[in-house]
Amino acid sequence: MSNEVWVVADLKIDGSVRKVTFEALSEAGNKVAGKLGGKLCGVLIGSGVSGHAAELGKYGAEKVYVVDNDLLKDFNTEGYTIALSELIKKHEPAVVIGGNTVFGQDYFPRVAARVGAGVTMDAISIDISEQNTLKIERFSHSSKAIPTQVFHQNYPMMTTVRPNSFKAVENPKDPEIVEGGVEINPADIKTKVIELQTKESDRPELTEAERVISGGRGLGSEENFKYIYQLADILGAAAGATRAAVDAGYCPYDMQVGQTGKAVSPNLYIAIAISGSVQHFAGMGSSKVIVAINKDPDAPIFQKCDYGIVGDLFDVLPPFTEKVRSLIAEG
Amino acid sequence: MKILVLVSQTQDTEAKIQVSSSGDSIDTGGMKWIMNPYDEFAVEEAIQTKEKHGGEVVIISVGPDRVLETIRQALAMGADSAVQIKGDSFAETDSFTVGKVIGGEIKKLGDFDIVFTGMKIIDEESGQVGVQVAEELGIPHVSLVSKVIQVDPAGKKAVCQKEIDGGHVTVEVPLPCLITCPDAMNEPRYASLPGIMKAKKKPLTVVNAEDLNLEELGLSAQALGKEGARVKTTQIKVPEIERKLTIIKGSDEPMVKGEEVERSAEELIKLLREEAKVI
Repeated sequence: MSNEVWVVADLKIDGSVRKVTFEALSEAGNKVAGKLGGKLCGVLIGSGVSGHAAELGKYGAEKVYVVDNDLLKDFNTEGYTIALSELIKKHEPAVVIGGNTVFGQDYFPRVAARVGAGVTMDAISIDISEQNTLKIERFSHSSKAIPTQVFHQNYPMMTTVRPNSFKAVENPKDPEIVEGGVEINPADIKTKVIELQTKESDRPELTEAERVISGGRGLGSEENFKYIYQLADILGAAAGATRAAVDAGYCPYDMQVGQTGKAVSPNLYIAIAISGSVQHFAGMGSSKVIVAINKDPDAPIFQKCDYGIVGDLFDVLPPFTEKVRSLIAEG
Repeated sequence: MKILVLVSQTQDTEAKIQVSSSGDSIDTGGMKWIMNPYDEFAVEEAIQTKEKHGGEVVIISVGPDRVLETIRQALAMGADSAVQIKGDSFAETDSFTVGKVIGGEIKKLGDFDIVFTGMKIIDEESGQVGVQVAEELGIPHVSLVSKVIQVDPAGKKAVCQKEIDGGHVTVEVPLPCLITCPDAMNEPRYASLPGIMKAKKKPLTVVNAEDLNLEELGLSAQALGKEGARVKTTQIKVPEIERKLTIIKGSDEPMVKGEEVERSAEELIKLLREEAKVI
């Protein structure tokens, strides 16, 4: 076994590297590699991905393993699982870190099962234990508990990390590129993508946005969600929603924040007409600053936020949005 | 068709969470146990698939005798039979081992077409076991399926829509496969009274953890329980984020009205800018 610490790049549909990769390299990976005395390495898996090696180097990767194969075009679980599992078997890293994105959640457990590794998901802090093994913290029980989990001496130790929970800090290195040398047999990829629909949006993705503006059922209609989008666009924020708003058909499921939707951890979370259920808080309770606008003074969210206005969103939001707009325009 | 559903029982996380005196687990005394909400979607999807294509639905659940309540609920919803893998130590056993144990029992059930399970369990929230069962069985999985578009038992394939960050994909997967279910893929039915009566008579197979052949599964004799776990929970804390609770209210009634609206918006912006420094 080597004492290398790997960070597997998480790629967007357009092929670019997701921010969580840089977060995992700089704060998480760097700390773990430092304490283990191992080399920090990036891993690029996909089609036409070799060019990203320099980006990983910018955030501290001293070495980058590359598996570049046409069969890995569009994320497919089987191809990625083969690529990462074979790389692990061949080079035996001590630690493998990935992003807790839809992709990471999909194939990290599968790779762990294939190589016999222990794996934790969605880490919010990462360290090395007294036994020199990986030690992480994560949320459980609808974000009402934070267990510390320590790995047994069984390698590799794998974890995904929650986006926006670690700082991305540049630490430029000139990485050595290592061709992974993994063969993929087309017959092993049985699941076929028959259609890929991407949503054109200039807004940042929910899980990696610094600011999130979310609306609840109180918005009353799909049309009224324009108030959410306007404020989001002025603040460069992502737009979110509660399950009730999604169920009512005001916005699509991919905007759902909460236990049954996405977990977000932005610097600023503005909840508009959201009562603040346990399930919603399970997805946004770790936001740094929570703001609520709600007409019900007894809404639970007023017991769990930093700032709030008791008021009708249709009264409060237009002047609030206008004032934010002029403030941002002034710079 | 033979359709399997992996169903877990979970602590109801609506309840107040308290750490046990040992500091490394949640105090479950007095807590309510429920069917994992994501597994309800899995059971519903399985029953709908059976209603369309015929066949049987088999529930598989791991845990001590309290899980029988959850198994009966699934049977009352319309599943046909169940397997309980019975033991007290599964909650502390690592997901790798649980995946292998469940996979091992599934192999004994003979040929099957689809396995449905929830995307994760709401107490542990780790979301690994389903995918790891698929690996043990050597079948493909599709996670976070928002919609099963078509199941074609004759053509041995299924077409599913899956959510991804920034869009969704439609994938075609050969059967047998495993599908993990997020929220909103269907409306889980309630168990009817006749359903509840019938559930009592449906076949239940109990496999005792002590009788499992761990060696055959490639597992060590210590694999079950905390000692053999690849990852152990050593401590649990309850997050305490201090919130400022600065709430702007109206002067006459709680809601801001009239001129107060403009002022409240200005005040909030000032707080966000000068105190919180977030805009």
